[in-house]
Amino acid sequence: MHTVYARINNISAMLSTCVMVLLAAVSLSTFVFTADPKGTLAVSSIQVFPGNARRYANKNQDFTFVNFNLTADLSPLFNWSTKQLFLYVSAEYENKRGVKNEVVIWDRIVRRKEDADLSVAGRNKYVFRELSASFKDAAPAHYSLKYNIMPYVGVLTYGEAARTAEPVPFPERQELS
Amino acid sequence: MSELIQKLTEGKIDFEGQKFVERISRDTLIAGTAISFLAGLGLQSLQVTFGLFALFVVALAIAVIPPWPSYNRHPVKWLPVKETKAE
Repeated sequence: MHTVYARINNISAMLSTCVMVLLAAVSLSTFVFTADPKGTLAVSSIQVFPGNARRYANKNQDFTFVNFNLTADLSPLFNWSTKQLFLYVSAEYENKRGVKNEVVIWDRIVRRKEDADLSVAGRNKYVFRELSASFKDAAPAHYSLKYNIMPYVGVLTYGEAARTAEPVPFPERQELS
Repeated sequence: MSELIQKLTEGKIDFEGQKFVERISRDTLIAGTAISFLAGLGLQSLQVTFGLFALFVVALAIAVIPPWPSYNRHPVKWLPVKETKAE
């Protein structure tokens, strides 16, 4: 502490330790804020059409188009260390060969608490196709809204906010007229 | 003039000043961490936490890093020069 350089050196060392302790305290405090908000998710219409994917121009496969209604109030998930919420609607089903599938069909990033009160009439943002090219004889699917809390400092946490009450069956493939 | 600049940039302070500076810098940083954490937790805002902490650090730096004259009030008392007997 005898020269300016020594004082700056000592203070910056103590300061970096204090900043690390502060960050650790913030991340530990996130375990205190537990919230489990629930919402509703219902499929309003579902159709299956044949078509070709852009990538595989010669492969004729089934595409499912889902319209859904989603309501959920996820603002309890916003605490001081929440940077954003990543929400996604995924379809879980077993195809005719018994393979379990989980397909994300819609997602959204919520950055502010005010935007976390959701009321969405949406349709699938992403192509919903089956790897075996056909949804025939696939088991009825459950649609669920899941979220991922991304903190400023802390651990990533996942949760499920809404689920369709009953599984939704896939209709027969409709021909485009 | 250049001697004055050299003295200021070196910034020597006496031992009593050093003890004081060490004590207040340690206490301010620990108290500042605790206060800014609790304030942010209460107001649920990380900006409050780190803003308050930055204010504490800037105030500490201004109070402690420049060699203020109050840190040189207790200079070391050297013993008087002893005449050496010529051999």
